[in-house]
Amino acid sequence: MAEVTLSAPLRADGKEPNFLQRFGHGFVHGDIFTKLSFLVWGLGYIGHGQLIKAVLVTLVQGLGLYYLGVAGIPNLMKFGTLGTVQMEMVFNPATFKNEVNDYDNSFAILLLSIIALVVIVAMIAAAMAVVASNYNLQQIRKAGKKTNSFVQDVRVYLNEKFYVTLLTLPVLGVVIFTIVPLFILIAVAFTNYDQQHMPPNSLFTWVGLANFFTLFGGGQSLSLTFGYAFGKILIWTLVWAFFATFTNFFGGVFLAMFINDKKTKFPKLWRTLFVITIAVPQFVTLLLVRNFFGDNGIFNTMMSNLGVTDLLHNIGLLSPTMDYIPFLTSNGWAQVMIILINIWVGVPYQMLIATGVLMNIPADMLEAARIDGANPVQMFFRIKLPYLLSVQGPALVTDFVKNVNNFNVIYLLTQDVYVTADQSMAASSAKEVDLLVTWLFRLTQEQYNYKMAAVIGIMVFIICAVFTVVCFRFINKKEATFS
Amino acid sequence: MTQVMSADTKKQLRKGKIQRGVRGTIRHLILIALAAVWLVPILWLVVTSFSSYRGINFTHFFPEGYTLDNYINVLFHPDSVAQFPQWFMNTLIVAIFNCIISTCFVLMVAYAFSCCRFKSRRLLQNLSVTVNLFPGVLAMIAVYFVLRYLDLTNSYAGLIMVYAGSSGLGYLICKGFFDTVPVSLREAAKLDGASEARIFFQIVIPMSKPILVYTIINSFMMPWTDFVMAKMILNSGISADWTVAIGLYNMLSRTLVNNYFALFCAGGVLVSIPISILFVIMQKFYVEGITSGADKG
Repeated sequence: MAEVTLSAPLRADGKEPNFLQRFGHGFVHGDIFTKLSFLVWGLGYIGHGQLIKAVLVTLVQGLGLYYLGVAGIPNLMKFGTLGTVQMEMVFNPATFKNEVNDYDNSFAILLLSIIALVVIVAMIAAAMAVVASNYNLQQIRKAGKKTNSFVQDVRVYLNEKFYVTLLTLPVLGVVIFTIVPLFILIAVAFTNYDQQHMPPNSLFTWVGLANFFTLFGGGQSLSLTFGYAFGKILIWTLVWAFFATFTNFFGGVFLAMFINDKKTKFPKLWRTLFVITIAVPQFVTLLLVRNFFGDNGIFNTMMSNLGVTDLLHNIGLLSPTMDYIPFLTSNGWAQVMIILINIWVGVPYQMLIATGVLMNIPADMLEAARIDGANPVQMFFRIKLPYLLSVQGPALVTDFVKNVNNFNVIYLLTQDVYVTADQSMAASSAKEVDLLVTWLFRLTQEQYNYKMAAVIGIMVFIICAVFTVVCFRFINKKEATFS
Repeated sequence: MTQVMSADTKKQLRKGKIQRGVRGTIRHLILIALAAVWLVPILWLVVTSFSSYRGINFTHFFPEGYTLDNYINVLFHPDSVAQFPQWFMNTLIVAIFNCIISTCFVLMVAYAFSCCRFKSRRLLQNLSVTVNLFPGVLAMIAVYFVLRYLDLTNSYAGLIMVYAGSSGLGYLICKGFFDTVPVSLREAAKLDGASEARIFFQIVIPMSKPILVYTIINSFMMPWTDFVMAKMILNSGISADWTVAIGLYNMLSRTLVNNYFALFCAGGVLVSIPISILFVIMQKFYVEGITSGADKG
């Protein structure tokens, strides 16, 4: 069957009508069944002779309405306040016992309301689609043709509309496990959900933009430390992401060129030696390295035996009271070490990728440059680097974003090891070496300060999104001028 | 040639050869130094796993006595802290389920975006890129709220859901590969009357074995290497419930590290062996995937 061409073109410009137009047209020009199908999805299909489909869609609609009736609407009613009845023990005269009252759980209200909103939007969209499809059926019958049987319909979903079959489950997964949680998180940023307001024992409620003011240092007493910590951590996050991305990229490129050079013997062997480090899971190597560089660790012993510790004392890089080098325990040292260790972690990956990309450079291009008398430095800056950047430019942008969110390296290297000496940082559970993401993680785990964690999360998203959009704009523009 | 060449040029040539020899030696010395830096921690892991001393040896790089006890203990004598066999089984269960669900999701989304043409394709792709910008940790905290509400924390079902639930978003590399399957092949099959579903199962999938292997191994490895999500969801503090990553992490907590460091190393080596084998298989596709995914954006 496929789409029936509408008798009169819907749009003057002759383009295909969009979803809304098809719904509108169907609803206005449809017969009684088509119109009714907006309310009861099955009716239209019954009227147009598709019984199995009618039962199925009505079942889905019933489930949706059941959810809205039982959980959705009652909670949506309380959405404005997020609950008013606090949990209490109430004496029940019938049983002569103290019992828990019928309390409101703010979090449940928030969660179920947001799910209800998603369900409502989905159901309205589905109802509109049902009307459009019923109008289509009506037209087919009017033209005197047969509508699809159920088996034929199923076949359509394995053929022309196979993408619907493919995408339904994954999209559902993303909606449930990413989108809905994100909505919840965004909502939490506008509430006072923290240790003093933990459901089910107590309620939390909307506070507007107060948490954002706190983060930017505009609120009451506590916010001074928060604003201070946020500024410091934001700067370190950006510095870290910049260095982590570029040291790894260039480290990987140079290592790859060094190994792939014709003068290097056994390139495969060297490559394998570096790749071994990737094969050990990151959490194992990072935890190991953390102990390797511990205050009393083996590396400190070696340094002290070699006299490096004394040397540092003498040139004033290390205060005389310390008999060890505080690789991961003091502000300044720790940041440098983290970036160095990250080079150790990331360069082998980048080396593998750069090897692959460099091999794809057209050989005649390099040959031509050589004949023209280009030296290796020129060849690197004029040919290899632009080529690498053009292929890996987008990957560099995503790497930067990944590094802004690089939880593992920072958390595994500094958790339980690094203790901040800065009182105002400590007051907001922050450390100088924290990234925004590790900070927000610690806020939720140690202080149960979900509201601030949510605000920081939104800030991280804004930073990443703006950075990505700007970079891709730039990359696209550049590509346009070259080609 | 040789007759024409004067003694002078000969000398110069020899000098060049020596210079090249010296440069070659320096080049390889640098490589050896770099490789040493990269391998020292790995070497430390391996030698400490054979150490007869159970804590961290602060004074010597190489242990004073060698023994196999750490491996025997970690594999056959679990105690209240180190329950490696149990953790291994837990992780294996999670890994198998995650592998099945994630692989299906990734292949499905990649095929739909690569080979099917429909109106909302661009919109959905852009949406997926935007959603990916949210930090994983952030989404995870929110997911944790939901799972706690549903009472699914401290259960493998919850953990599998978190790993596999939104795995469809990681379709880019796989899509890059599907894009390389010639359109003419699919068109020919369509002319012969094959449905999209048949083309997917009987033409595109069999042609995409490399990316299939890559996706399977990648999703299988995830629970073995992931630390954060598992720590957040399996937070009961009951050792027998943990995955390998949290268990090993716990061994290094301040009170335990002096008794369990060597065991940690043995456990680390044991996890690394299967992962290294899988990684060696995957290495080839890894590069292909990254580079082909990159230029498609």
